[in-house]
Amino acid sequence: MKTWIQKQTKKQLFIYFLIVASFIGSIIFVNYNHAFYDQPIAKVTGATETDRTETVDQHQNQDITVTQQITATVKNGSYKGETIDITNEYSGSHAYDHAFQPGDEVFVTIDDSTFTGTIENVKRDKYLILVAWLFIIVLLAVGKKQGLLSVISLAVNAVILSFALDIYLQNSDISLLIICGISIVLFTVISLLMVNGMNEKTYTAIIATLLGTLSSLLIAYLALFVTGEQGLRYEEMSFLSRNPQTVFMAGLLIGSLGAVMDVAITMSSSIFELYEKNNQINLKTLKASGIDIGKDIMGTMTNILFFAYVSGSIPMLLLYFKNASPLGFTLSMNLSIELARALAGGIGIVLTIPIAIYTSIFFIQRKRART
Amino acid sequence: MNVLVVLSIILFVLMAIVGGKKGVKSFIALFLNFGVLIITILVMNDPNANPIWLTLVACAFISAISLFYINDVNSKTTMAFFSTIITLLILFFFIIIITEKSMIQGFGAEESEELMTFSLFIGIDFIKVAASVIIMSTIGAIVDTAISITSPMREIHHHNPMITRKDLFLAGIRIGRDILGTSTNTLFFAFFGGYMGLLIWFKDLSYSFSEIINAKVFSDEMITIFTAGMGVALVIPIASWMTSYYLVTIGNKKK
Repeated sequence: MKTWIQKQTKKQLFIYFLIVASFIGSIIFVNYNHAFYDQPIAKVTGATETDRTETVDQHQNQDITVTQQITATVKNGSYKGETIDITNEYSGSHAYDHAFQPGDEVFVTIDDSTFTGTIENVKRDKYLILVAWLFIIVLLAVGKKQGLLSVISLAVNAVILSFALDIYLQNSDISLLIICGISIVLFTVISLLMVNGMNEKTYTAIIATLLGTLSSLLIAYLALFVTGEQGLRYEEMSFLSRNPQTVFMAGLLIGSLGAVMDVAITMSSSIFELYEKNNQINLKTLKASGIDIGKDIMGTMTNILFFAYVSGSIPMLLLYFKNASPLGFTLSMNLSIELARALAGGIGIVLTIPIAIYTSIFFIQRKRART
Repeated sequence: MNVLVVLSIILFVLMAIVGGKKGVKSFIALFLNFGVLIITILVMNDPNANPIWLTLVACAFISAISLFYINDVNSKTTMAFFSTIITLLILFFFIIIITEKSMIQGFGAEESEELMTFSLFIGIDFIKVAASVIIMSTIGAIVDTAISITSPMREIHHHNPMITRKDLFLAGIRIGRDILGTSTNTLFFAFFGGYMGLLIWFKDLSYSFSEIINAKVFSDEMITIFTAGMGVALVIPIASWMTSYYLVTIGNKKK
């Protein structure tokens, strides 16, 4: 029996070597990259608890606040190698504070006269890189070539998005929706070609995706227009530096795009497969099978969007409830935007099912007419 | 009228037209899942409740609703259910360590203005809540991938009853690989869409690269994206193995 290594071709071994080398290299880099940061970084070397108080807030929530005395070594800048003292306070709930242990690395500001520091932020880059690598390794191990393609497509799409936003921010006279529209065409063509290759199924899926997204956008617009946006609490959107309505619509468009693509490619692949198995198959049968497949996927697909959007609000919801906010107020304040996105995305998913069926049939008929 | 009501009605009508009875069921399932989520959050308010166990129980309910209520109880939904739960357990183990180490729990400095009026000493462990949030964001995609694998595997076994366990397992992996790209894409874009505001914010306030990658909110969202991708990938071998084991090994014993 051959060993695993002997079974691999030279090219494969080279790729594995490359992956392992860049994995190790980047992990070492993020653990020793302090010199690249302008802000002072300190590594916690000791932490002793000096005080622990039980607290009760105005809503009768019990918690504890702990004060810890931290000694840390500065890792970069002009104070490199010096030891500083830091006083840190944290609560049992850690909602806006952190408990530190020896080994943690933090960004600090240093007071030169007393050699005391204040913690500004946690150095998170090493964990981010670690998780990114685990993600890449798991996807490659399970998906092989397809795994690699989805990693690449994530990276490419992220770059396009960042680039598109740069263009938007530099030319604010161009509407964000137009920029998103152009990016959506790029996202769709690139992702679907990468996942599925150049063939009629992919072209069908691209057209169905664009039509599906466009029609769900129109419906969402219409619904917003008819209701005068009543019930949408833009004021609770986090991280707003622009007109909330545009950010909301752009997010809605891009957010449902992946799900709509998924539906479009699933539908067109299965319909084309039926046609390839039996060239004489009549259109009614194709349509009926298409609807059956659509029925199977629409429930779980709408669920994906729903949970991806709504779960992010859990911490804020808990904070509201614990601060004695009434149920209805809390839900409408924190969930209206996410729910609207999930519902509009769901509408896109369901609409894409018939759109993909008819686009596939259109292409199949054209193919038949040619032969 | 309220936007959400109008959008819900449109979604319901479309689901009923396109999906018939099953469409109506899918819509009801969406509402039941919403209910489960809200109840879970309400129970999480109890400081003695462990958010992690609560989330696992909630995920079991959510998977059961998405699988058994829409599709009936049968070997493919049962296998999808158990592979989802096992995947979640593995993910949880990993996420708890990562959230604790990277300290991405709670709220970021960018949200401080919003938080001013609130008491933050509320006695709930936000590290555990952060892990729960990541799991909850992924549950829909994991269930979807699981059922997309177990269902065609059963078809293959049905048409090919003599297939060996290994061949059936490999068939499952192949199916999984084909859907891996689209499933991960669905999640990526859903998260990108949700983070649009944040991305514009970073660019508008000209955050430097090092500030962005170390910011709590950004790390939190990237870790969510990566973990979600891992969850979708991990469920593929788990579902393939469980289904092939169940259908071939246990199925043959029954005969």
